[in-house]
Amino acid sequence: MKAITLRYKTVVVSIVLGALFVYAGAMKIRDPLAVADTIAAFGIIPLALINSFALAIPSFEIISGALLIAGWYRRMAALGLLIALGAYTVAIASALARGITIDCGCFGVGPGTRGAMWWDFGRDLAMLAAAFAVYAWSMPSPAAVQDESRAA
Amino acid sequence: MASAPDLTQGRTEPVRPVYLRDLGRVVIVALLAVLAGQILNRVCSHPLPIVYQSPEQRLAAELTKLINAPPFQPSDLQTIGLSEFRPIVDGSSALIVDARSAPFYELGHVPGAINLARDDFAHDYQALSKRLQASRDRPTIVYCSGGECHDSKLVASALLSLGFSNVKVFTGGWEEWTQANLPVAKD
Repeated sequence: MKAITLRYKTVVVSIVLGALFVYAGAMKIRDPLAVADTIAAFGIIPLALINSFALAIPSFEIISGALLIAGWYRRMAALGLLIALGAYTVAIASALARGITIDCGCFGVGPGTRGAMWWDFGRDLAMLAAAFAVYAWSMPSPAAVQDESRAA
Repeated sequence: MASAPDLTQGRTEPVRPVYLRDLGRVVIVALLAVLAGQILNRVCSHPLPIVYQSPEQRLAAELTKLINAPPFQPSDLQTIGLSEFRPIVDGSSALIVDARSAPFYELGHVPGAINLARDDFAHDYQALSKRLQASRDRPTIVYCSGGECHDSKLVASALLSLGFSNVKVFTGGWEEWTQANLPVAKD
């Protein structure tokens, strides 16, 4: 019964998180220039790499989100989004700490106000917790780890 | 005689930690995303260059399509607030310029505003050249999305360098206008 509840929770959280990322990626993929401007505004990534990141991030979000929804390589997709969300959260926190006011560009172009940045920070923390939960809940039992290792 | 103990019993294969295997797969997905991004960029109508160009650099490049412009410099600009901007809009006493990109302008804008987007500046300027040439000496107010948006200042600076004499920026932008529940035009 407990295992069924855990599986149900994992599926529900995965679908919600995956859908959010597919939507976020779709909003970004339409306007890579705006994504590049947003990344540049954070002042963290070297100029030479900004456009490569702006082109890769939307595809990464869509692929990982779709895998989460489909339940295919779910654990890996959750880890990928966990890393991405960790990077986004650190970037917003550093901008807040440096007194920079920017639009995070998380779901397309927004107003770019201080209040919106705190909202984005809180939302990213919640999504970070959700991605961590999916990853932890998807961890195999020790016996399954052995089987998976032999199969690999 | 007792037989020798079976040393193979209970021995387990060395297992690579699960997270390391997952990390390897994440790297593969990231590389696929880089590849997908590059392919999509090749087929899109406005591909990004390899190296990022700032909005100022892009606007300078746009300006050179219109005039032999000196290197683009953002100017010190006069700004106005909503209390000053609203009567100007109501009285149609100035040229109002929306510096946001076309899709946002089409979703809604300040009544009477024309769209002169930062990234399509030369194209928009040429399309509106008659109206703009006739308004060079009129007061001109530029706005963008609001908050800390930078586009209104860039477009206002570009207009000054094109010979407009009286250009100001409404800093509250679209956000403050809509939050005050003021009229919205869609055309």
